[in-house]
Amino acid sequence: MILLCGIPSEPPLVLVAGALEQLGAPYVLLNQRRFADTAMAFEIADATLTGWMEIDGEGYPLQAIEAVYTRLMDFRMLPELRDVPETSEPWQHCSALHDVLTRWSEICPARVVNRVASMGSNSSKPYQAQLIRRHGFEVPDTLVTGDPDRVLDFRARHGRIIYKSSSGIRSIVRPFEDEDVERLPAVRWCPTQFQEYIEGTDVRVHVVGKEVFPTRIESSATDYRYAQSEVGEAARLVPTELPDLVAESCVRMTEALGLAFAGIDLKLRPDGRVYCFEVNPCPGFSYYEANTGQPIAMAVARHLAGRTQ
Amino acid sequence: MWLVLCDRNDAAGVWIHSALRSRGLAPLGLVTGEDLAFCDGWEHRVGRSGATIRFRLESGLTIRGEDLRGVVNRLYTAPIPQWRSARKVDREYVQQELLAFHMSWLHALRCPVLNRPTPQGLCGQWRPESEWVWLAQKAGLQTPRYRQSTRDRIDEASGQRRLLPPGALVRTAIVVEGIATGERIPPAVAEGCRRLWRLAGSAFLGIDFAEGAAGPWTFAGATPVPDLRLGGELLAATVLARLTAPAAST
Repeated sequence: MILLCGIPSEPPLVLVAGALEQLGAPYVLLNQRRFADTAMAFEIADATLTGWMEIDGEGYPLQAIEAVYTRLMDFRMLPELRDVPETSEPWQHCSALHDVLTRWSEICPARVVNRVASMGSNSSKPYQAQLIRRHGFEVPDTLVTGDPDRVLDFRARHGRIIYKSSSGIRSIVRPFEDEDVERLPAVRWCPTQFQEYIEGTDVRVHVVGKEVFPTRIESSATDYRYAQSEVGEAARLVPTELPDLVAESCVRMTEALGLAFAGIDLKLRPDGRVYCFEVNPCPGFSYYEANTGQPIAMAVARHLAGRTQ
Repeated sequence: MWLVLCDRNDAAGVWIHSALRSRGLAPLGLVTGEDLAFCDGWEHRVGRSGATIRFRLESGLTIRGEDLRGVVNRLYTAPIPQWRSARKVDREYVQQELLAFHMSWLHALRCPVLNRPTPQGLCGQWRPESEWVWLAQKAGLQTPRYRQSTRDRIDEASGQRRLLPPGALVRTAIVVEGIATGERIPPAVAEGCRRLWRLAGSAFLGIDFAEGAAGPWTFAGATPVPDLRLGGELLAATVLARLTAPAAST
């Protein structure tokens, strides 16, 4: 049995559920929004992990769960909890359910895509960049500073630079322009991340186990995810191929981070150098699959079903 | 120079600073999370040539990562007193930004850092009680039965614990460098503590025991930020040796 967790209408979950149906692999869906109809418990005793889950009145032993795919949103943002006090029973039950689910999935023997602990490196981008370097990728020159003069020096050295958050919050890439100089003293309040701008071709690589799905992105936007609003035209996504060594490095890096599934952002320079910006441990791959037809969901489904190629 | 990084109210952090200084470790600074909030000149670089850090304390002293020879790191949060009057959403954003920043530069240090930061904690990996029990069983320690369900209303954030009944007498072992210090620990328990320390992967590990169904040394929890004072002289000497070992890195 495979456990899917999240909101059933969310595109990645829809695609993976569909792929599992095609494979004939049985799954059960834990609908986050119907937390009130879900209960769960687990026990650790005599070096054994056992447990029980109930969804819509149907019971499942946790020992029967062979794989888990989580696309959980922050439960505090669920519409069902809007204006509901934290001390109320619905809120407490929802909090307890997410806690039980997370704790169990961190230690259970199932194939979990992905465990919370393994996803952590993405919470600090400069930290993750240091891990990325170990796998042979170039990383952009990065400065995190609270000193406006350092930013101006950095810009003078690199010419075009961008800024973005260091954490995973408000993670939008923006170019640093002349009009930004005026508000630069604000960095004194919180060290801010600046990076040299790297020219080249954007490639998003989805890695599922040892399978690699590279997608080339054609856009003039600084952050192609927001191309429509930034440059008035959506990005064009095209399936592409990577040199074997680069593809192997993507697989090795994903594995080393403890991830079964990752979305890796690369920039291929005309001179052959390969920059890596980020490893996303919970990729919203449906955007890429919808635009390219690359069978990413099927690869995830095969991994969950234990039928990897 | 060497640094002890800790919270302003961390008595164990102040103790290890004092214990190391009295053993002649110099120059040795004590820098609190609040001190870091008021540092300026932060300059953390990551790129082709590696990663560096430089910052200036309010006292005017400039700290460069390459000059550091060892750090005892007990920072578990990033205080933001200067953001006290900001909107909650902005405070939460800044908090996450600073945690991400501190994790990165602490990770970049090439000297011994006890404990190194992880994505699950600035001063080592925090784990829920369920995961500690799971690891403690693997380490061969006597563990209580652990049960958790959606009916529970235990708030660990406010100090409530599943493994430890209120008022229970707790005995604590502190493991550093594979040496179990603390109260008189039976050899078999000490060996289990060492195995758990290896599984936990942090330089310091505090392991709590209480009288329970599995006997007088029943596992009751663990932390990467233990009360180092319980380790006494042996612990201070072990930490000193670790921080001054030639070409050491952790």
